[in-house]
Amino acid sequence: MSFFRSKKMKYYSLVIPRESAWVVMNELARLGQLHFVDYDPQLPMINRPFANYVKRCDDSLFKLSCLELLLKEFKKNLNYCENVEELLDYFSQVQYDRMKPGHTYFDELESEIEQKKIQIQEQSANLQNLLDRVNIITEQQLVLENAKEILGQSMFQQQTPHNPNDYQQLKFGQLIGVIEKEEEVRFKRIIFRVTKGNAWVQIKDLNNQQIDNSMRQSFHLNQNNTSSPRCLYVIVYPGAEESSSLKMKLLKVCDSFNRQRIEYPNSMDELQRKMMELNQQLLEVKNLIEMSKQQLEQSLDELVLQKQGCNCSYFEYMRLYVLKEKYLYVNLNYLTMRGSIFTGYFWLPEGLEIMVEEKLRNAMKNNRDHYPTGQIQEIKPQLTSPPTYFNLNEVTMPFQEIVNTYGIPRYQEVNPGLFTIITFPFLFGVMFADIAHGFMLFLCGLYIIFWKNYLLKQTDSMFNLMIPFRYLIVLMGFFAFYNGFIYNDYLSISLNLFGSCYSPEKEEWKRESKDCVYPFGVDPVWQASGSSLNFMNSYKMKLSVILGVIHMLFGILMKGVNTLYFKNYLDFFCEFIPQLLFMICTFGWMDFIIIVKWLNTYENNTDPSIIETMINQVLKPFDKPVNPVFPNEAEFQLQLTQILTLIAVICIPWMLLPKPLILGSKNDKHKVNMSDSQYQPLVLEKQVSEQDEDNNQQFHNDLQNAANLKSFSEQSNEQHDSGEIWVHQMIETIEFVLGGISNTASYLRLWALSLAHGQLAEVFYDMCLAGKLDIGGILGGLLGGYFYIVFALLTFGVLMTMDVMECFLHALRLHWVEFQNKFYKADGYLFNGYSYKKILNDNLKQSNSK
Amino acid sequence: MDLCVFGVDDGYAEAIIRGLRASFLTEAQYQQMKNCASIPELKSFLEETDYQNCLQADNPQIPTSILRQRLKKKLADEFEYIEAQSTGTLTKYLFHLRCRFMIDNVVNMIEGLKNKIDIEILLSNIDPLGWFPEIKNIKVLEGDDYSSLYRDVLIDTPIGVYFMKFLEESIENLHENRTLNDIQNLFREMKPEYIRTSLKKMWLEDFYVFCEQELMPTSQEVLLELLKFEADFKTIQVIYNSIGNRDLNTAAKIITTRKQLCPTIGNLYPDCEKMYLQAMTLDTLREAVKGCDNYRDLLKDAPDPLKREEFNVQTKTLDDIMYDDECRRYALAFDGQGSYGVFYSYLKLKEQEIRNIIWLAEMISRKLAKNHPGWKKIIIPFSHLGK
Repeated sequence: MSFFRSKKMKYYSLVIPRESAWVVMNELARLGQLHFVDYDPQLPMINRPFANYVKRCDDSLFKLSCLELLLKEFKKNLNYCENVEELLDYFSQVQYDRMKPGHTYFDELESEIEQKKIQIQEQSANLQNLLDRVNIITEQQLVLENAKEILGQSMFQQQTPHNPNDYQQLKFGQLIGVIEKEEEVRFKRIIFRVTKGNAWVQIKDLNNQQIDNSMRQSFHLNQNNTSSPRCLYVIVYPGAEESSSLKMKLLKVCDSFNRQRIEYPNSMDELQRKMMELNQQLLEVKNLIEMSKQQLEQSLDELVLQKQGCNCSYFEYMRLYVLKEKYLYVNLNYLTMRGSIFTGYFWLPEGLEIMVEEKLRNAMKNNRDHYPTGQIQEIKPQLTSPPTYFNLNEVTMPFQEIVNTYGIPRYQEVNPGLFTIITFPFLFGVMFADIAHGFMLFLCGLYIIFWKNYLLKQTDSMFNLMIPFRYLIVLMGFFAFYNGFIYNDYLSISLNLFGSCYSPEKEEWKRESKDCVYPFGVDPVWQASGSSLNFMNSYKMKLSVILGVIHMLFGILMKGVNTLYFKNYLDFFCEFIPQLLFMICTFGWMDFIIIVKWLNTYENNTDPSIIETMINQVLKPFDKPVNPVFPNEAEFQLQLTQILTLIAVICIPWMLLPKPLILGSKNDKHKVNMSDSQYQPLVLEKQVSEQDEDNNQQFHNDLQNAANLKSFSEQSNEQHDSGEIWVHQMIETIEFVLGGISNTASYLRLWALSLAHGQLAEVFYDMCLAGKLDIGGILGGLLGGYFYIVFALLTFGVLMTMDVMECFLHALRLHWVEFQNKFYKADGYLFNGYSYKKILNDNLKQSNSK
Repeated sequence: MDLCVFGVDDGYAEAIIRGLRASFLTEAQYQQMKNCASIPELKSFLEETDYQNCLQADNPQIPTSILRQRLKKKLADEFEYIEAQSTGTLTKYLFHLRCRFMIDNVVNMIEGLKNKIDIEILLSNIDPLGWFPEIKNIKVLEGDDYSSLYRDVLIDTPIGVYFMKFLEESIENLHENRTLNDIQNLFREMKPEYIRTSLKKMWLEDFYVFCEQELMPTSQEVLLELLKFEADFKTIQVIYNSIGNRDLNTAAKIITTRKQLCPTIGNLYPDCEKMYLQAMTLDTLREAVKGCDNYRDLLKDAPDPLKREEFNVQTKTLDDIMYDDECRRYALAFDGQGSYGVFYSYLKLKEQEIRNIIWLAEMISRKLAKNHPGWKKIIIPFSHLGK
């Protein structure tokens, strides 16, 4: 019954000496069943004793993520861990072999990570530098080549002018270099303004990105376009003197664009020589690149390498270890440090003390220095209520998830998740009722169940997302299949499985014999009759109300179970019983007469209307029913309805009045008690102050007393507000009474959705298939094939995806609102076990290429 | 009416700003920052706040100047994002806001070049909010030739207009038959601080006109009020700083300089102009501004500028007093709905926050005692609202 109510929790205190804190926490995390309570949630993380360690772990993780980027850039495939348990065993093996205190291993790893990061980053920066160098050299080559083309021979052949005033003989100077492409226009403008238009500027694109990429390709490196497009410029200006003010100014301008400027050689020979030089340099640098790239790859390969016994790459091993360490310190931060002792509190599911103690003994054994390990002691819980913990498996998980999405169950309250396992797929099935569609859904679920392992590897598969919900899908499909039989609906056609009781005879339907009953589901003859829709509507409508009332009554019963379990007899007598009676006397009675009406046959035109009967029961309480449900027993029915109505009416004030009145009177007594209890803490305080302060036990008592007192006074605060109680109770009552009606009506969606589903299926069938299959010949075959495809696509798109979704949502609503509001408090919080397995599983990565 | 349609164009940008409101450090966080014992500790604290991403890659022992640069970069990134999300008038408006930082950058560059500081250092120190591509070309500046600097570089930039106006005005002020030499002399003697103040004054006046003409009434109402205060603040600052200033030896010079530097908008102008231009002591200044708002109260605690040599870290200077009052106004404007005041206030308040952090970082790195009055000299944005 562990799923019906959440597990019983016990509250423990844990005392560990500082020296063995790491070992103990390490062992306990393997157990994974402790829920640590933060001793002071308000205290910022940075002020806690191990904040520094957490920070260091974060730093290491950050460094590792830097390295990971590099690994990706060089297309190194890591082996990712798949089995956490194995890895954890390997961790402890490594620890054991080290023969040193466990917590120091992190220090080693940290410095190793730091070292690796520096080394690899240096290498990659080196590589980048060399690549840039290549870029610069090729750029220079290009600039020179282009300049040669643009300036031509005549640039070198300028004569010193004989007459400086002769413009024909004026000598020209030139500047060449590289600028960013986007600064082209600005550059031109500034040059224009500085020289007042007396310079000739030529700009040409360098296509440096393409060059860069092709160069990177030749070294098998990733292409990343970090460099912006650039272009080269050639400026020709009048006056070749070295120190003319125009030249100085131009130089300043060119330099202020922060890109390289190149000296243009004076003669053709020099130009050739310079080109040769550059070629030489280029070759050298390219050799260097090859070498440094090899080095880098080597260091990266070290990270990819799988160490012996470990089931993942060394990089992944380090990452997971640091994560684990961080998790440990975060949890260790929940403990208080007093002197050399850590004290913490945790929740533990009942019955696991032995395991915890064993772990502690284990820690003692594994501890090299044999420090005393910690001890645990059960104490009374403080203010907070215990966490909600269920042992879930793969079947129950999706259903509990449905419930948890609405709210986590309160500790030990009846868990609606248990009933949801059947009721949810069933209500879904009522709405999605169709033999064929249901069966397809069922098959889909089965496929996921049986091919789960195969699908898990298909990361891009649509089914992959459905894997956690496979059992839910199977059940949903099964119940839709089953309800399809009840409604006898196969893609909108009725199946004649057992032989109909009617046979056609002269345009009339003749019943075979009076006792003939169609054994299961609806007689297919209804489909052939003209009133099929009327009949099915009335049938489905009544069925949904019956199911709804049963569902709600069950919810109310669960409230009774809850009140009895928590020994809340006030709620049992003043809420549960009147609510149950109210529901039975109104809608329970309605269900009853629906069934009675089904069972009886009525004379001509005397069949009672259910709605009329229900309304008259309230509006005309003293008139005999005209068409009684019980044939010939109108008098009996009148008396019965009078009694039922009376009970229902009495139930309303019963729900409203007694509870607040009783609570109010309790309150008055409470006040007297309070004055007594106020004396208590004073006495205790005195005792405490007399005793040794380091005495841990006493500290606990003290804390506990304080906590109890706090909860005591808080409770009384709550109860003081009697006005609030009244308002609250009034809302509850109104909600229940009105809700009884509206919730019952809400269950009519079971009929409505099923109707919609049936009608859609019928439309698709009529439009696409019916009639089209009769056309003979080749044309008929082709047409039939075409319409079949249309039909299949529509069925899949509209019914198998959209309608499944819609029915799912409505089933969800019926559970969350109509069912759960009858009893479900949903104000608990989840058990969060301190477990390495959990944290590592959450952080596992899937290798992409497989 | 404009409240109805505000969201059509500017709703998204405003929403982002409202979201960024959560990134302001709280009073408790300031308290924790004060408790930090060293710069690495401060850095690790800041990494827990919204500033996490911009600091992570840095060395723990981060110099204050780099810290400031990082914080500003973050603000600039946010601002750039909002600018990219804006359309129409808002884009123009946001651009106007950035001009203030551009002026600062240009003047800083000029000052640095005059003092022969390396251009790389100057470039790495510019405020990212006021970055524009031409800034590196300021290197072209030769000596004190501002007019050629304007002609060659600044003419295309957003602040070219202000610079031109500034040059024109300063040349006009010279006597009639000026020579080229006179102009060169003028520029040589001109202090960068003077350029900064004049440019900012022009910017402020221009921005004021922009707000008046282009913005919707709700934004106008908020912004004009803020700008008026800022103008008054500038006026008071100019007067205050010129009291007892040795460079301005004659009374006539004081008055002309003041007249050039004081904005021609605000609550004080033109009613009190005559009086404040003449004010030669703190008391007469107080007397001059008493007619407006609560300026008299603000000036009540200001220390006497004539005893400037006695000032130390503890002194609550005029700037501190004014910042305090500004912060209150900006916080109020930030909480107003449907106006462009939000963007203005956000920028100002974040600037204040960065100033606070840097101040604390300075205090920490100097290892001053915790009871030193300097620790209290931070103005926490939004702290005025709760009281």
